[in-house]
Amino acid sequence: MTRADIVVLVLALALLPMLYVKFWHHGAAGDEVRIMVDGKTYETVSLKHDRRVTVHGALGDSVLEIKHGAVRFIASPCPSKYCIHSGWLHDGGEFTACLPNRVSIEVTGARARYDAINF
Amino acid sequence: MELSVQPTRADHRIAWLTALAITIHIAESALPNPLPGVKPGLANVVTIAVLCLYGWRMAAWVSLLRVLVGSLLLGTFLSPTFVLSLTGALCSITTLGAAHLLGARLPGAGFGPVGFSLLAAMAHVAGQFYCAYWLFIPHAALFTLLPVLMSMAVVLGVINGIITRTMLQRVTP
Repeated sequence: MTRADIVVLVLALALLPMLYVKFWHHGAAGDEVRIMVDGKTYETVSLKHDRRVTVHGALGDSVLEIKHGAVRFIASPCPSKYCIHSGWLHDGGEFTACLPNRVSIEVTGARARYDAINF
Repeated sequence: MELSVQPTRADHRIAWLTALAITIHIAESALPNPLPGVKPGLANVVTIAVLCLYGWRMAAWVSLLRVLVGSLLLGTFLSPTFVLSLTGALCSITTLGAAHLLGARLPGAGFGPVGFSLLAAMAHVAGQFYCAYWLFIPHAALFTLLPVLMSMAVVLGVINGIITRTMLQRVTP
């Protein structure tokens, strides 16, 4: 390899981590989760403490799990379980909902990852 | 009026080398590709070898003719695949031209096959990616793919460069 080859290779290898940081970096971690039922705030829970929250919705109880600063649905009385399949929410602005049970959760934080989401 | 074209020695050489590149291109298209958007691009070994042996003009001919004839043979002519392939080829050949000119002015030996191949692979992916973004999928989520595609371009670019270097060592005494 010539000297120019080595320079190009080094620059290319330096570019790759920058690309990963630029395009794979997510928003800031959230602080709290806002739980809403029927569009009205039901409870706001800190993500700092690991716990489970049971939310009474239109169909029955949805269960949320809070662990290591993230939150997810672990049970909900809906047929499609989209809420459970959305998995863990970590970052400010992340949002998911169980529409049949009228329960939605939104992670709040200093920086929101999204301005608006529609499904 | 009779129009006759006298093919020169250089024309014959372009035709032979393009035929070789097309053969590799077609053979490669038969390989399964587990990652969409990632392929080895072995036909570019020919482009880089031609660049090192005969200069940029001939490399540009071989590269662009290979894209054109390859697409006619594979039935992708004027399809999105062809547009992406052509954009990639144009970007990499332009970059190779710039690198060739720059290399001639640099102290030392300038770029070797590995440097050329790496630059070409990265230019190819970058050009193709922006083309895909502007023309076909103008969605910000597409950018999530860019780091992966670029990593593959660096790895495969270096591998193709090493193949080219080995090949050139054998064909040139």
